Amino acid sequence: MTAKTAIGDMPTPAVEASNVRKAFGGVVALDGANFSAASGEVHALVGENGAGKSTLIKIIGGRLHADAGEVRIAGRKVVLSGPDAAHRLGAWTVFQELTLLTWMTVAENLFLGHEIRNSLGLIARGKLFSKAEQVLADVGIFHIDPRALVEDISLAERQLIEIVRAITQNPQILLLDEPTSSLVERETVWLFEQIRRLCKNGTSVVFTSHRWNEIRTIADRITVFRNGKDVGTFTELGEEEAVTLMTGTRVDVFFPPLPQAPQSQPALSVRELSGPRIKSVSFDLYKGEVLGMGGLAGHGHREVFFSLFGAEPHSAERIEMSGKPVRIRNPRGAVRQRIALVPEDRKTEGLLLPLSVRNNLTLTILRQLSRFGLVRVGEERRLAQTLVERLKIRARDLFVAVGALSGGNQQKVLLGRWLLAASDVLLLYDVTRGVDVATKHEIYELVLGLAREGHGILFYSSDAEELAHLCHRVLVMREGRIAAVLSQPGITAEQIVAAAMREHATV
Amino acid sequence: MTNKLHRRVLLRASGLALASASFAATPFAHSRAANKKKFKIALSNSYIGNKWRIEMENLFKAALLMEPYKSEVIGSWFNSGNDVSKQSQQMSNLIAERVDAIVLNAASPTALDGIIKQASDRGILVVSFDNVVTAPSALKVNTDQFEFGKTLAEFLAKKMGGKGNVIMVTGVAGTHVDLERNRGADSVWQQHPGIKVVSRYTGMWDSATAERNTASVLPSLPQIDGIWCQGGTDGVIKAFIAANRPIPPVAGEAENGFRKFMIGYMGHKVDGISIGQPPFLSLVALELARRVLSGTYPKKDITIPFPYVTSETVKVGETVFPNLPDSFFADFTDAGEHAVLKICVDAA
Amino acid sequence: MPQYKAMEHTALAQPFRRSAAAHALGQNIGLILVCILLIASILAYCGIYYAAQERLPGGFEITSTVNNTMPLVLAALAQTVVVLTRGLDLSVGGMMDLSNAIAAVTLSASLGSMVFWSVAILALGALLGLLNGVLVAIGRLQPILVTLATLSIFQGLAIRVLPQPGGAVPEAYTAALVSTKAPYALLYVIAFGVLWSAFRRTRLGVSILAVGNDAQAARAHGIDLIRTRIAAYTLSGMLAAAAGLFLAANATAGDATTGNGYTLSSIVAVVLGGVSLFGGRGSAIGAMLGAFVSSMIVNILFFSHIDPLYQAFYEGLFLVLAVVLAEAVGRLVRKAS
Repeated sequence: MTAKTAIGDMPTPAVEASNVRKAFGGVVALDGANFSAASGEVHALVGENGAGKSTLIKIIGGRLHADAGEVRIAGRKVVLSGPDAAHRLGAWTVFQELTLLTWMTVAENLFLGHEIRNSLGLIARGKLFSKAEQVLADVGIFHIDPRALVEDISLAERQLIEIVRAITQNPQILLLDEPTSSLVERETVWLFEQIRRLCKNGTSVVFTSHRWNEIRTIADRITVFRNGKDVGTFTELGEEEAVTLMTGTRVDVFFPPLPQAPQSQPALSVRELSGPRIKSVSFDLYKGEVLGMGGLAGHGHREVFFSLFGAEPHSAERIEMSGKPVRIRNPRGAVRQRIALVPEDRKTEGLLLPLSVRNNLTLTILRQLSRFGLVRVGEERRLAQTLVERLKIRARDLFVAVGALSGGNQQKVLLGRWLLAASDVLLLYDVTRGVDVATKHEIYELVLGLAREGHGILFYSSDAEELAHLCHRVLVMREGRIAAVLSQPGITAEQIVAAAMREHATV
Repeated sequence: MTNKLHRRVLLRASGLALASASFAATPFAHSRAANKKKFKIALSNSYIGNKWRIEMENLFKAALLMEPYKSEVIGSWFNSGNDVSKQSQQMSNLIAERVDAIVLNAASPTALDGIIKQASDRGILVVSFDNVVTAPSALKVNTDQFEFGKTLAEFLAKKMGGKGNVIMVTGVAGTHVDLERNRGADSVWQQHPGIKVVSRYTGMWDSATAERNTASVLPSLPQIDGIWCQGGTDGVIKAFIAANRPIPPVAGEAENGFRKFMIGYMGHKVDGISIGQPPFLSLVALELARRVLSGTYPKKDITIPFPYVTSETVKVGETVFPNLPDSFFADFTDAGEHAVLKICVDAA
Repeated sequence: MPQYKAMEHTALAQPFRRSAAAHALGQNIGLILVCILLIASILAYCGIYYAAQERLPGGFEITSTVNNTMPLVLAALAQTVVVLTRGLDLSVGGMMDLSNAIAAVTLSASLGSMVFWSVAILALGALLGLLNGVLVAIGRLQPILVTLATLSIFQGLAIRVLPQPGGAVPEAYTAALVSTKAPYALLYVIAFGVLWSAFRRTRLGVSILAVGNDAQAARAHGIDLIRTRIAAYTLSGMLAAAAGLFLAANATAGDATTGNGYTLSSIVAVVLGGVSLFGGRGSAIGAMLGAFVSSMIVNILFFSHIDPLYQAFYEGLFLVLAVVLAEAVGRLVRKAS
C-alpha cells in the first residue's frame, strides 16, 4: 500500500473538491471530503454504497449543491447552478440512474440540449438521424438504431447511449458513475477504449465501479471513500486492502465457501420451456442448490426468469415444483407456488420506493399477517425488525422510505421480502448489480445460507467471477438455449465467458 | 270520463293521462288529420337527471301518441345533458334532418343563439320553454320566474307579520331562473324592513344538496321565522328536523316530499306554500309549435301563471301523493287543463 | 483481468435495422390510430346519415359540425400542452367561461374593439395560466389541486363579469372565427397543426415533452423544470381563453357557465387523440382529431336514433372501446416491430 500525497506534486488539477459536506435530511452523505483529479488520468472512486461517491459526482456534475466546501474546475472556484452550468465548464456526467428520455428517439436524446437547428431556428429533424448515425459510428457503435425509441432498446444499450452523449461533448472532465453495471464485457472493453482515447487528449476521467477487475484495468489512481470522507489516494492498491479500507474491517475470504452438495430431490424441474427469445430450455434445480445462469446479456436469461415467475408469455412441456406439475400463468400464481423473483431493476420491478422498509418487507405476506382483514401491526413490526437485523439492512429505522436507502440495502429489503414469504424457489436475477463490495459479500452469505436451509436458488449474474465462485453448477445460455452446463469443482470465470462466446467468435 | 281517466293514470305517475285527457278534451282535436304532410317536431332537451325533466319528457312522448299529434306530427326527442356543444350539435343535426320545429329546453339561455339563428334562417320554428333562450327568433313559453320568487316571499311576509329572520335557499348560480327568482324575493324583502335575511346559500335545486348545506349552516343561525327555498325544499325541512329546530312557515318548490309535510309527514305538519314549474310546459310548447305551423296561432311568446297550493288547499291524490317518492314533482294537475285552455282561449 | 485483453472488438456491431417507416409507424401509433378512428367514425356517420336521410351530409352539416367542435379543439390543445408535462389542467373550463363572459360583455362591432379585446382576453388567459404554472412549478403543488381551485376562481370571476347569460357577439366576429357559410374554421385546425409541428421543434416544445417523460432526467439534461412547467400552463391558459372566444363566437352570446363541460371533454379528446395522461407522449394534432372524433360520436348516436335515455351509456361505451382498442393495437404494433 503506497499512499501518495498526490495533490502536491501535480500541476493544477482538472477538478478539485475540498472539504465538501452534504447532508440529506439527517443523513450525512459527505462529511468534509477531498478529491482531486488531474488532466489525462483515469481516477477511480471506490467505496461502499452510501460512502458518498455518487454524491460527490453529482456535486461536481452540477446536479446537487454542496452544503459546504468548494469545487474548483481548472483551478477556478465554481458554484454550479445546474447540470448545464457544469456542461459549460466542460464537466459531463454519466449518472448511475439513467437520464435518458424513454419516449424520445435515441437521436433526440443524443442531441438534447444542443440540438441542430435549421435556418428558421427550429430543430432540424431531417439531419437529426444522419448526424446521430455519424456520431455513433465515430465511436464505433453500429448496433443501435438512432430512430429507435429509448423505451425499446435494452438497458445496456441505454447505458451506451448515455455514455456516448457525454463522450461526444469533448469533455474536459468526464464523470462516470458505475457505467459498467449493466454492460457486458465486450461493451466494457469498448468503454475502456473510449476512456483511453479521451485521456490521451487530456480529459480527466473520474470513474466508479464495484468490479475490482475493471478498476485494476483502467484506473491510474484510486481514491477510497468511507462514510463520506476520503481515506486515501493510491496508485497501487490490492483488492483486499481496498476492501479493508472501504469497510474499516478486514474481509478475509472474499467469496464464502460453497455449502455441501445439494439434496437429490429437485425443487424445480423445467422441461422444454419456450417463449420469446427462449428455445427449449430444460433443467433441474435441486433443493439446496445454487444454480448459476450465465452468458451474454440478451440471450434469454431474463426471459427464463420472468417466464418462471409468470411475468412473460411462455409455453413449457412440463414445469414441476417438488415433483408436482404446476402451471404458472401470472406472478400471483408464482407466489402461490412459492416461487420468488428478485429482479435486477429493483426500482421499477420490485420495491415501492416511497413506502417504508417495513411495508416493503411485509408486502407479500400481508394476508398471513392479517386477521379479519386488518393487519396485525405489532406482529408485522416484530417480523420486519428481525429481518432488518438478520440481513444487516442499514436503515435509520423501519419507517424510513426505501427510496432513501442505498442500492445494496434496497436489494436486501427485496431479498428479505421473499424470505418472509417463505419461498421454495428463489429466482435471483443479477441481484448484486450496482452493489458495493461489502454488501455483496453479505448477499453472498445470505444466498448460500438460504441454500443451506434447502431453498433452490436460480442465480443469474452479469459477473462471471461471481457465478464461478457462488454456484454449484452454471448453465451458460446462448441464443435462447442452454449452451453449456459447468459443474464444480473447478468452474472458472474464463470457462463461462468462453462458453458464452464460442459461437459468437465465428459470427 | 275525462276526469276518471285523468285520476287513474296520474296515480301511475306516467304523465300519459294528463296529455290524453286534456288534449282529447280540447275543441282542436280535429283539424289537420286530413292533411297529407305531417309536421316534424323534435324536442331538444338538455339535462335529464331529475324527476321533473323526466316527467316533462314523458308528457311530450305521451302527447305524440294522441290526437291531434298522432295524425299531425312526427315527433322525436333528444337529451344532451348540460353540455352546450352537444346540444348545439344535436340542433344542427335536427336542422340537417329538416324538421319543421324544435321544441327546446336549453342548457344555456344564450349559448345556442348561434345555432337557433341558423335554424330560423332555414325556416325552422324554435319554441323554447322552461330554461328559455334569448335568441330573438325563438318563441318562449314560460312561467314568470320573478313572480315565483315574489309570491313565495309575499306568503312568508304575511305569515311572519312583516318581521323576523328568513333563510334563502337559492338555485344554480348563473342561470336566469335563479337570478329572477331571487330578484322577486328581494323586491318583497325591501318592502318589509322588519324581515332580515340571515343566511343565503345555494341548494342547487336538489334536495340532497339543500339538506346538506342547510345542516352545515343551521348551527350558526339564530331563530328562523321563515324558509324561502327555490328547490330541494323537503331537504331543507329534513335538515331542520334533524337539528331539532322548530319548522317555521316554508315557501318552496313543488316537491312531493314538501307537500307531504304540508299534510303531515314524519310527525311534522308544515305551514307553507308550494309553487312548481309545471312539467307540462313541454306540451304547451308543442301545442304552440303545432298551432304556429298550421297557421292557427300567431308567433307569440306565452307566459303561464304558476299553479300553487298552500297547506289549506293541498289535496291528497291531486296535489300530493303520499305513495310516491319525495322527489316526485307533484304540481302538474290542477293547472294542466287550465294552461292549455288558456292557449286555446287566446287563440280563439 | 485476462478476458478484457483477450477480446479485441472495437466496434459493437450487429447488423439489424428497421426502416425509417417502421419506426415512424411504431412511434406515432397514437396519431395513426386516431386518424383511423376519425375516418371510421366519419364513414359510419355518412352511412347512418344516408340511411336516415337518403342523401349524404352536405355543406351545412360539415360546417356546423366543424364550428361546434372548434371550442373543443382549442380546449384539447390547451389540455394537451399541460398533459404532456405530466400535469392536468382542470381550469380549462373555468378559463373558457371567463373568456366567454368577457367577450360577450366587451366585444363591439368595430374591428378595433374586436382585435383589442381578443388580444386582451388571450393575454389575460396567459396571465391566469401563468398563475397556475407558478403555483404548480414553484409552489410545488399538485396540478389537480391547483387547477381545481383556480377552476372555481375562474368560474366565480366569470359569473361576476356576466351574472346572467346575455351580451352579444358581433356577427363579423362570428363570421371570422366560425363562419356559417363554409367550414373555413378548418383552416384554423390546419394552422394549429402546422404551428404545433414547428413548436415541437423548438427548445420549449422538446422541453415540455422531456419534462413529462422524466422530470429528473430532463433536469440532468439541463432543462429548467420550473420555466418549462410555467410556460406550459401559460400556453394552456391562453389556448383555453381562445377556446372561450370560439365558444362565444359560435353561440353569438355569452354564458358564464357553458365552458364548464369542456374540462372533462378536453381530457376525453386528449385521450382519444393518443396523448398519454402520464405525460411525455402524444401530439396536439392527435388531440385535435380526438375532438372531432368526440363530435362524430354525438352525430352517429343522433342519427342512429337510439333512445336518448341510453345515449350517454352508448357514448361512454364507445369511448371506452375506442381507448381500449387504441391501447391494444398500439401495444401489438410495438411488440410486433
